[in-house]
Formats: sequence, C-alpha cells, structure tokens
Amino acid sequence: MSKFRRVCRWLHRELGFFTVGLTLVYAISGLAVNHAHHWDANYQRNFEVKHIEPVGTGFTVDILPLVLDQLVLEDPVKNSWRASEEHLQIFQEGSTHTVNLVTGEVTTESVKRRAMLFDLNFMHLNTGKGFWTWVADSYAIILALLAITGIFLTRGSKGLGGRGGVLMVLGIALPLIYAIWINLSR
Amino acid sequence: MHKTLSIVLAFAFLTFAALGAMAEGQVFGAGVSLEKAVKVSDLLESPDKYVGETIRVEGIAVGVCSHRGCWVELASDKEGETVRVKVKDGEIVFPPELLGSILAAEGVWTANKLDLDTTKQLCEHKAKQAGEKFDPAEVTSCMTLYQLTGTGAKVLPMPQKSLKKG
Repeated sequence: MSKFRRVCRWLHRELGFFTVGLTLVYAISGLAVNHAHHWDANYQRNFEVKHIEPVGTGFTVDILPLVLDQLVLEDPVKNSWRASEEHLQIFQEGSTHTVNLVTGEVTTESVKRRAMLFDLNFMHLNTGKGFWTWVADSYAIILALLAITGIFLTRGSKGLGGRGGVLMVLGIALPLIYAIWINLSR
Repeated sequence: MHKTLSIVLAFAFLTFAALGAMAEGQVFGAGVSLEKAVKVSDLLESPDKYVGETIRVEGIAVGVCSHRGCWVELASDKEGETVRVKVKDGEIVFPPELLGSILAAEGVWTANKLDLDTTKQLCEHKAKQAGEKFDPAEVTSCMTLYQLTGTGAKVLPMPQKSLKKG
C-alpha cells in the first residue's frame, strides 16, 4: 500500500469516527428542516378554544381584571395587550390567550420546544453563530476531507477505476443535473 | 502519535461545542446602540418623516413569524397599533417565546410602495385572515408598507406591574 493511500485511510478512519456525532446531528436535523413546509421542526403548537362570560369593550384597565378572574391562570402573566376594540391578548410564558371581548371566546395558543430536535436544528442552522460557526466550518472541511480521502480507500474493480468510479460519477451528476434543470426552468 | 492527534482534535471540538452551546442571552443580531427610542405612535403618525433613518423602537412583542422567526411585531403605545421589525431570513431568528416581552429594536425605517395589484392581493389576504368579505373593486389606491429593517434587538426588563399571577 502506498504511503499516500495509508495517509488517506488513516485520515478517513480517524475523522470518520470523530464526526459520527456531528454527522448524526446534521442528518437528523436535515430531515426535520427539509420538511419545514410540512411541520414546525422546532416547536409544538397547540390551540385550545374555550368561552368565558363576555366582559364588553370597556377600558382595558377595567376589563383586564375581569378577564383574568375568569381565566384562572396558574402561571404568572407576562403581559397583556389590547389588539383591537374587541380583542385582548394575554401573554404567559409559552402561551398566548386571545380573548374576544364581545363573544367571550378565548383562543389559547401554546408553544413548546421540541425536545432535542430544537437543539439539533439550532446547531444545524447555526442560529447561535459565534463559536458554533467555527465548529460548523471545521465540520464542513472534514466532510470534504472524508469525501476526498474516501476516493482512494480501495483499488481495483471496486475502486475509482471500477464500480467506485461509476458511483462517484453518478453522485456528482445528480446535483449537477438538478442545478442545470433549476437554471433552465427559471 | 495518531492517538494523541485524535484526542487533541476531539478536545478542540468539544471545547468549541461547549462554547457554541452557550446561550447568547437576550440580544439579537447587532443589538441596539441608540439610546433614545422613537415612539411607535409618532412613527405611525408621520411615517414618511423617518424613512431612511436608523431608529430605535420599543414595544411589547405581540407577533412573531411562525415560519422562520424573520419578523416581530411590536405593539404601539396606542392600542391596536403595531410596527413590524423585519430581519434577514436566518440572520436573526425571533423565537415565539418572545411574545409578551418588551423588545427594543433598531434598524432603518423603510417604505415600500406597492402597486395596485399587490395592494389588492394584500387586502384580500388580510380580509381572509380576519374572516371578512373582500371586494377588489373597493381597493382603488396603492398602499405603502412601512417597516423597520432590523439590524438588532434586545429584550428589555419588564416594568413592575400589578398583573394577577393566578
């Protein structure tokens, strides 16, 4: 085995083991955010409708205590806002109550972070910026190294000159054809 | 030597990961640097006066983009009025947990004059959201959309209020 191939194998093995965790982070989050148009990958949202006795459209300062008395909220109220003549919003940590002052209908939207997935997406989308940018950049470089060193792992019919080469061409052709197609269809 | 290198690499990554996981606090993007805020009611009363200016606004966060967190709506000091702070997608992400918090945001006040077709589309969308009937013939003039093109924001401490705690 040539020295170059030995270095490739070593790099591929060491970096491969090392990036298992990050690869899983990006893979799982990738699946989640790819379908962002189908679901909210970060939050679970629940809507609940209930009714209270209508309190009328008086001054906010007068009607707010009446609404709060009827809602009987367990957690602290963060804030409130008179969205319109007929609507009052009451904010709590993780939930918003929209009260129709005329009909008494109360719509509560609760938002909860998806366990684990929120953090994975946070890393994948580099929302935190700062040091994670360095981690993500390093990971991108390592991925490129894994791809390049992977080409030289095997020789012969299963390597670059045989089946491996055909698979590599197919893998390169896929994004290339898609890029051409999206540019032509614009 | 190989083992040592692997351990060093692993350590470097873990350090980066730990630092990266640290919460950024309650500052978004570039934060806010201007001391004085323009009252939202003043801004909405004479919006053209501030176009192109870098300003700071403050208010309760009453709406957040549910798709990408790319805008937040701040309540005015006058009931029912809001101002939208729009940021570049992905650059700043406003989480839904912000709702109800008091936010200071900074950016350039911009005006976007819509053509009649777009104005009609927007009015139709708003009517649909509000569950109201919409007649395109009633829309005869173009609309100008004003918003703060935000560069940063910061959550302000809540004033001591006597809201019921349940």
